Amino acid sequence: MNESDHQQPEEPTSFEDAFTRLESVVRRLESGQMSLDQSTALFEEGMQLAKACTEMLNGAELKIKRLQQGLVEQLNLVSED
Amino acid sequence: MYDAAHSPQSPTDQPQPRSISEVSQLIQGLLKSDPQLANVTMIGEVSGHSQPPSGHSYFSLRDSESSLRCVMFRYGRGHQYLEDGALVVCQGSANIYAPRGDLQIVVTSTEPAGVGDQQAQLEELKRKLRAEGLYDPSRKRPIPQFPKRIAVITSEQGAVWHDIQNIIRRRYPLMELLLVPSAVQGELAPVTIIEAFADLHEFAETEHVDAVIVGRGGGSPDDLMPYNDEMVARTIFASRIPVISAVGHETDFTIADDVADLRAPTPSAAAELVSPDIAGLTYETADFVQRLMRGLTGRVNLARQRLDLTQDRLAENAPETQIFRERVDDLRSRAQTSWARYLAIKREAMRRVEAELRALGPQNILERGYAIARDGDGNVITKAATVKPRSTIELTFADGTVETEAKSINPTN
Repeated sequence: MNESDHQQPEEPTSFEDAFTRLESVVRRLESGQMSLDQSTALFEEGMQLAKACTEMLNGAELKIKRLQQGLVEQLNLVSED
Repeated sequence: MYDAAHSPQSPTDQPQPRSISEVSQLIQGLLKSDPQLANVTMIGEVSGHSQPPSGHSYFSLRDSESSLRCVMFRYGRGHQYLEDGALVVCQGSANIYAPRGDLQIVVTSTEPAGVGDQQAQLEELKRKLRAEGLYDPSRKRPIPQFPKRIAVITSEQGAVWHDIQNIIRRRYPLMELLLVPSAVQGELAPVTIIEAFADLHEFAETEHVDAVIVGRGGGSPDDLMPYNDEMVARTIFASRIPVISAVGHETDFTIADDVADLRAPTPSAAAELVSPDIAGLTYETADFVQRLMRGLTGRVNLARQRLDLTQDRLAENAPETQIFRERVDDLRSRAQTSWARYLAIKREAMRRVEAELRALGPQNILERGYAIARDGDGNVITKAATVKPRSTIELTFADGTVETEAKSINPTN
């Protein structure tokens, strides 16, 4: 990492990552402690994160998996509840 | 019921005192002739049990209000179930013990009382597990707020698995649901549940799992018994993955509920407990965007005020020379130009991102089957508690609006 602090922020790795980072960006921006440049950078980062969040929320498709469970099949335990 | 055969007197004689044995026999006859008392099955708790070397058992059976003396002779069946505190079902007949005139039940057979006995065993198991610290609230772990993968240990065929899928698909489709099939009733169910936990932990050695829901739908108390199993309880407690129990209905409580990190009243509730609501998250994201814009605008305004102040001060303090005046003017115009440019760029950037966000908007969410509820003033309703009874609510669906009235308000906590 030979980049300075003002380089492009990393792409969010997950919704949680994007959402919690967005929350902290908003808090920092609202604190009023940042310089104008920092504020602008935070604003841009926040908007990107908000966009990432919205895209993830809209594009999500539930994934379903099933773990092979030998015992149930061996016993052939089919039960309704 | 007067039995003339037992009477030594003719009906015309004056009454003569009877012997005690005679009266005792009269009572005995009365008891024996009553079909209900001659063969009675009763349920009660054993107390004062003793079994002298004769091998007969002497005890009392009682409930909360009454107590009856009982004897079961050596050849009776089920002596092993007779211990103080046990709930048993006894069959026998009412009888007077002549030497003392005591009423007693001569018991011919004893069995453990099915449910009652199970309940007693359950209470005993609960006490033991609690004493060992399995109920310790400080051992309970939080469930991650934004899970990536939730495992579900339940029957693949049951309604529970389908309900959970539907709820998660609606609320938080950003995650993966992992089914680890188990039987949910019957004697073998505990083994399959324990095995499912083992398989899940093996899987979790290389893959991330946020939490596991273990449960089944409603059923008879017997159906729910696998979730009262001691080994199942210990397995849940030992799980390295936080466990949410979800067994039966709201009114069903099992040991699995007690030792899990979190008890969900129903499997559907478990699905809701592990998933944030996408509608709320969309709303919060939009709110963050608003706050970002306000935040930056505020910061820019502050900077501008400071600059104005600095310019004023500079103008006040500067010597009345042309050079300084020119420099101030120059500074001012440069500052204004760069501010104007700066703001134009920022406004453009804001507009662009805003437009992108709007394009993504709530439409997609509405398409999923959500509706936005607004009160009479057009404000979005986010809490049931804030709705006034009988007030008008406007619901916005993907394709239009519906006006409706708040019939009853039932906030949950």
